[in-house]
Amino acid sequence: MTKVSMTVNGKARSAEVPDNTLLVDYIRENLRLTGTHVGCDTSQCGACVVHVDGQAVKACTMLAVSAQGSDITTIEGVAASKNELHPMQLAFKENHGLQCGFCTPGMIMTATDMVERYKAAGKELDEQSIREELEGNICRCTGYHNIVKSIADGASKMNA
Amino acid sequence: MDMSGEYRIEASIDQVWAAIQNPDILKAAIPGCEELDKTSDTEMSAKVSLKIGPVKAKFAGEVELQDMIEPTSLKIQGEGKGGIAGFAKGGADVQLAADGDETILTYTAKAQVGGKIAQLGSRLIQSTAAKLADKFFANLKDQLANT
Amino acid sequence: MSEGIGTRVLRKEDKRFLTGKGRYTDDIVEPNQAYAAFVRSPHAHAEINGIDKSAALAMEGVVDVLDGHQLTGDEIGNIICGWGITSKDGTPMNMGAWSALATAKVRYVGDAVCVVIADTKAQAQAAAEAVDVDYNVLPAVSNVLASMADGAPQIHENAPGNQIFDWEIGLKDETDAALAGAAHTTTMDITNNRLSPNPMEPRSAVATYNEAEDHYTLYTTSQNPHVARLVLSAFYNVAPEHKLRVIAPDVGGGFGAKIYIYPEEITCLWASMKTERSIKWTSTRSEAFLTDAHGRDHVSTATMGFDANNKIVGFKVNTKANLGGYMSLFSSSVPTYLYATLLSGQYNIPAVYADVQTYYTNTVPVDAYRGAGRPEASYLVERMMETAARELGVDPGELRRANFVQEFPHQTPVIMAYDSGDFAGNLDQAKAAADVAGFEGRKAEAARRGKLRGLGYSNYIEACGIAPSAAVGSLGAGVGLWESAEVRVNPVGTIEILTGSHSHGQGHETTFAQLVSDRFDLPTDNIQIVHGDTDKVQFGMGTYGSRSGAVGMSAISKALDKVEAKVKKIAAHVLEASEDDIVIEGGEVKVKGTDKAMGWHEVGLSAYTAHNLPEGMEPGLKEGAFYDPTNFTFPAGCYICEVEVDPKTGVTEIVQFTASDDFGTIINPMIVEGQVHGGIAQGIGQALLEHAVYDDDGQLLSGSYMDYTMPRADDLPFYNVNHHSTECPGNPLGMKGCGEAGAIGSPPAVINAITSAIGNNNLSMPATPAKVWAAINEVSAAQAAE
Ligand code: FES
Ligand code: FES
Repeated sequence: MTKVSMTVNGKARSAEVPDNTLLVDYIRENLRLTGTHVGCDTSQCGACVVHVDGQAVKACTMLAVSAQGSDITTIEGVAASKNELHPMQLAFKENHGLQCGFCTPGMIMTATDMVERYKAAGKELDEQSIREELEGNICRCTGYHNIVKSIADGASKMNA
Repeated sequence: MDMSGEYRIEASIDQVWAAIQNPDILKAAIPGCEELDKTSDTEMSAKVSLKIGPVKAKFAGEVELQDMIEPTSLKIQGEGKGGIAGFAKGGADVQLAADGDETILTYTAKAQVGGKIAQLGSRLIQSTAAKLADKFFANLKDQLANT
Repeated sequence: MSEGIGTRVLRKEDKRFLTGKGRYTDDIVEPNQAYAAFVRSPHAHAEINGIDKSAALAMEGVVDVLDGHQLTGDEIGNIICGWGITSKDGTPMNMGAWSALATAKVRYVGDAVCVVIADTKAQAQAAAEAVDVDYNVLPAVSNVLASMADGAPQIHENAPGNQIFDWEIGLKDETDAALAGAAHTTTMDITNNRLSPNPMEPRSAVATYNEAEDHYTLYTTSQNPHVARLVLSAFYNVAPEHKLRVIAPDVGGGFGAKIYIYPEEITCLWASMKTERSIKWTSTRSEAFLTDAHGRDHVSTATMGFDANNKIVGFKVNTKANLGGYMSLFSSSVPTYLYATLLSGQYNIPAVYADVQTYYTNTVPVDAYRGAGRPEASYLVERMMETAARELGVDPGELRRANFVQEFPHQTPVIMAYDSGDFAGNLDQAKAAADVAGFEGRKAEAARRGKLRGLGYSNYIEACGIAPSAAVGSLGAGVGLWESAEVRVNPVGTIEILTGSHSHGQGHETTFAQLVSDRFDLPTDNIQIVHGDTDKVQFGMGTYGSRSGAVGMSAISKALDKVEAKVKKIAAHVLEASEDDIVIEGGEVKVKGTDKAMGWHEVGLSAYTAHNLPEGMEPGLKEGAFYDPTNFTFPAGCYICEVEVDPKTGVTEIVQFTASDDFGTIINPMIVEGQVHGGIAQGIGQALLEHAVYDDDGQLLSGSYMDYTMPRADDLPFYNVNHHSTECPGNPLGMKGCGEAGAIGSPPAVINAITSAIGNNNLSMPATPAKVWAAINEVSAAQAAE
């Protein structure tokens, strides 16, 4: 058992966890933030994506102890306040970018990261780049059509 | 899955024949082998830890030497259980031929895996198995060179 | 009102999913919860000699290790197939016994042998590894051809030769005669590749036994919680129905895989009684590949005959279907009544005959996966049509047009009576939207870039809203296929709709509310949809087979009729007017042509205060209805796929995908288009990427996302989705269903496009670059030889 401390969605959190606890299990089981999902056991589906120190990370590929001292944002913490949606969340709603909703948190966390990275690099996030950037996120419901549209719309909303 | 190979070993055919029945030499030669005990003249039990693709497992198994024709050929039959990782079993026909002071060893082997190793590692098994076989014979060579 | 039928209303359910507040089964934690881990067979076929649990039982946190003998000792029943099929010779199908935990024999890799219950998930998993099962390994078979071969290992004692049934449908002699006299025949061997359904949320169960009340609660990832409860109580004997509550909360996709009641749910319920703990089990993706029912896996030979005017005279099909190691809940209906009844396609074919043999193999059970039988039928029919057109040297679209059914109702030789459609209208719309006229130019341009461009059609028809109950009952179904609904108007005028349908991505909370909004001219915010809980909703058949609109909403509509009648009676009484003059609009109940009106909420309140109701009227405003459809519905359409193949690598790019669908009445076009997108993606996945592969020993080789290729965003295009609808005469709303069409119609369009590009009809799914490349070289080799 090791004590881990990190900031999650702006709040300091700490707990004693077995050393082999995955970050995703820590978030879901210890912190009871169940918006971060688990869709596979080979790190390929992206349902578990969270931001660790501002970067998208598959929370199933990281140990909780490795996130010691980090600043973590999960889907529950992306919006500025309780009554608002983040522009990317809003874009997914307006473009029907979700059906069963299981992949959605990971998609949104990946999408916001993608928009920030392209902006920082001064690159244009066109349709083809969105599709390529989604390599690590699987959705079985939407056929990606509306997800790609949502992300493009979310990008312009975020950059507005 | 089928494999085959040929190795030249700098030792006499009798030395090689003895070596492949010597648990100490085998233990040193089998990649990942942690324990190997003779349970009869032709049977051994072994514990081997292996990593195939994303699956790491400890196999507990039995090895049997069959159809022995000293010093030119034998069959090695083995079966190992790796718990939740699955199982592996297989057999190898080994032929030895003297070439001067050296020995040419050829083998053809058939292996079958099941459970998680097959599910997650199937793409990697052929190459992993071939690598392991190479390593085994290279180790065997070294062992013989040291004796 | 802007939220009624036909409006693109944004989804009411989205907020909780967007903010991480969805409540899926694995998110639920019960007090006193323990975790289950299953010990599964690594062998495809083996006898169980013995089980040594001692090491596992001694491990930290382990509560118990339970096996199949204990389960059957408690009289937990075998898992059953709910649709009986009779063979040609009149004998019933050979259903082998399937115990939730195997007792004597395991029949596929992943077959559950024991369950370990422990305080934590990690402890349960560790202890499951320590259970030592001694197997006597038997030879195994993993495909139908091996299973039916002489000397094949016997999987179930009561199924000689591993055959489950040998069934037929249609007109045998007439078909043989028609083919014998045909001016042209086309014959093809066609395989429909085996698929793994892969909803993104893995299956999960949380089972709780309350000893004090002798009552069970099961949270589970189900498309049909009421059916689950019925089967768990009536057949598996886990608990009597009134002592069992089944809740399917938010469910992360189903696609068929979550219809069935699997060994794990049964075992968790039983184990919660045994251990007096709440038991949670959530499948890993690896377990999902091994244990979720797979789809498709047909091997067929088909011959289609044409007369000198290119009219189809007969169609004959033989299909061999792999049903896996056991018969899953609806497995027998998929390669029979959901498949062969659609072999007439959109065409007027006087003689159709099909016979189907099904076999056990040492693989996971095969059952309905999005489309269930209908994708297999449309793939067969539409590949035959395209190939025949090429052989006859005629335009594939025009060969279809010449054979379209044009008059309705149309009775096919294989049971179905098509009730409506405008197949030529869909073809024309799709051709215009896809700019088929400009194809030759695009093809020439692609050739200049060294690419092979091809265009393929698929004119699919399917049958949804499986019905009516009496008819399906006579064909062997063990359940009725109606739906129920209850409409509760609260004293303040807000409305709750209780439905037996279940939403796991389909957006029922929105579309069902739109239906009510349309009827009573109320904002959807005032309407709440309640589903997925057997304690709240009386009964229902759930959601599969694209039935929730045509059947589920029809039930709601019937209940709304009753509410509307009562509302009008109350208002007429209070307002002292005739019922016939009462209209409901703008949140009011009014007397036509006057300014006399009551607020909608006032009517609600009157019904509950009961101070001033018509003589003899019962208080309250709550009505229920059961709706049993009079016929199947027949969604149909035309899909056109355009591809570019790189002859150097065999890589296929889908450059354009156009759909023209006839779904009848559409409630929310945004949601319907989303359903079509998702279905097409799954169909393209089947055509290009997906394949569940077992080796000859029954080991699953495509058991993770490393080896099973799920369609990713960059494998797929934007889809051009259009509607050209005819109203369905069979239900009050005119709806046909849209959930499966995309998956049914798209695979043949993709393969027809590739085969047209490469000039070789001999290509099987998935059309991987290696296969396409080989098919291209087959043609070049043949040309070189000439
Ligand atoms: S759960 Fe992390 S990638 Fe699938
Ligand atoms: S919305 Fe269901 S998996 Fe993406």
